[in-house]
Amino acid sequence: MTETLIATLVSGLVLGSLYALMASGLSVVWTTLGVFNFSHGALMMVGAFIAWTVSEAAGLGLLAGITAGTLAAAVIGVIIERLLIRPFYGNRNMLLITVMTTLAAMIILEKGAQIIWGARLKQLPRLIDGEVSVFGTTISAHEAVLAVIAPLVLIAIWRFTVSTSTGRSLRAVGQNQNSATLIGIDVPVAFALAFGLSAALAGLTGALLGSIRFITPVMGADPLVKAMIVVIFGGLGSLGATAGAAYVIGIIEALLILWLGLYWTPFVLFLLMIIVLIFRPNGIFGSAE
Amino acid sequence: MDHLLNIVDVTAGYGSITILRGISLHLDPGECIGLFGPNGHGKSTLLHTISGLIRSTSGTISFDGTDITGAKPPQIVNSGLIQSPQGNTLFGDMQVFETLELAAFSRRARKDRETNIQKVIELFPRLGERNTQKAKTLSGGERQMLSIGCALMCAPRLLMLDEPTLGLSPRLKEELAVAVGKIAESGIPLVIVEQDVEFLMSLADRLYLVEHGEIVREIDRANAPGHDEVMRLYFGEHTH
Repeated sequence: MTETLIATLVSGLVLGSLYALMASGLSVVWTTLGVFNFSHGALMMVGAFIAWTVSEAAGLGLLAGITAGTLAAAVIGVIIERLLIRPFYGNRNMLLITVMTTLAAMIILEKGAQIIWGARLKQLPRLIDGEVSVFGTTISAHEAVLAVIAPLVLIAIWRFTVSTSTGRSLRAVGQNQNSATLIGIDVPVAFALAFGLSAALAGLTGALLGSIRFITPVMGADPLVKAMIVVIFGGLGSLGATAGAAYVIGIIEALLILWLGLYWTPFVLFLLMIIVLIFRPNGIFGSAE
Repeated sequence: MDHLLNIVDVTAGYGSITILRGISLHLDPGECIGLFGPNGHGKSTLLHTISGLIRSTSGTISFDGTDITGAKPPQIVNSGLIQSPQGNTLFGDMQVFETLELAAFSRRARKDRETNIQKVIELFPRLGERNTQKAKTLSGGERQMLSIGCALMCAPRLLMLDEPTLGLSPRLKEELAVAVGKIAESGIPLVIVEQDVEFLMSLADRLYLVEHGEIVREIDRANAPGHDEVMRLYFGEHTH
């Protein structure tokens, strides 16, 4: 019994790492631009396909693939910001309009991927083969790498936003555009940077996930929905809250799968989300303002 | 001699609403000027237009001999033309020190960041005491100090202060007035927007009265108005 529980907790930790990478990207865009990016999952998918193309089709190796997937997603993210979000800055209905434009971006990317790569399932090799033993339970070494990389990446991004001028400027722009402009911060540049960074995170997640799950044009949908649950659960304010919530949701999901099975788990997760929205609309870790 | 700041016949507004109707004014190196006049007549709009937040529809603005009409705000900040806006709430979740460090954002300002922070703390010791406090937890006066501090961190070659003492208690008002006086003494040319004409007269070499988006009067020490005349300027001929 305890062995099953430990195995479940470990797999929850891996899931949590995945959600943390996804949700922190959503959080960066939300805190800087005030936009909820529905194409985030599709950007993840693009990262996975580009990684596959570079690593497998071109045969350049997995590390080159992961790098290319991350960068390609960042570039596409900047393009989405430029074409589908920037025209609506200052618009009274910006939040609603960008819901539609980022949904459109999601559809364009998913259908585009289907045209370019076809519907056949693809998969990346693992970063490291073999298995590792964690607290007496075994997981694939690749999943262990994912669980180690995620917190490192999150800490790096957190340091970036707290102690570098550029990172601070992203926070400043999210809090007060006029004041940021008057100390010389180029607001459109900050927006593009935030969106690119967020998309890079999605691309990296996709490239790492491509070794564990199949790469398909719609592979981003489920992680996007889970990341949404995470940001609602944790509150969209800070990276710390988002990351914390990601691990909590990952572990809850793993436990639910153990106790209720795969079928009822999404139901309970959404129920949880609705309860949080009713009683703590700013999230469990969000401030009550 | 060239003016440091030269504004010629500028019109500007929001959308189809014109606020500034052909404003011309200038400031010479080493000079302090004041803008006063009733609320809602275009003083802040003028500063926003100079800073590039609002595009002028006609006229020219030049700073230090360079035409900056239509330039982007970051360019204007980088050239040293800095504004501390009215009621600046800054970045609520950012700490005082962090905010000051960030404010030295332009390449020109960044190299003097450490010395400028020292100067700001010297001018406003209270910001030093509150260094790890978030901006949203500061009092109105402290926030105003932080706003001016941020403007100083931008290494201003010309500093525009929009109602630095707005809504403050008389004691704090006095404290800020002294600080603004020190900034002027340090040799930074100032454009100050204020309602308090006597306070302005004590600092500025010349004053402009802004009404209905126009400069209706220029005042220097030679034709300084008395108290009664100030009342008349604000309230009209027959009101009091």
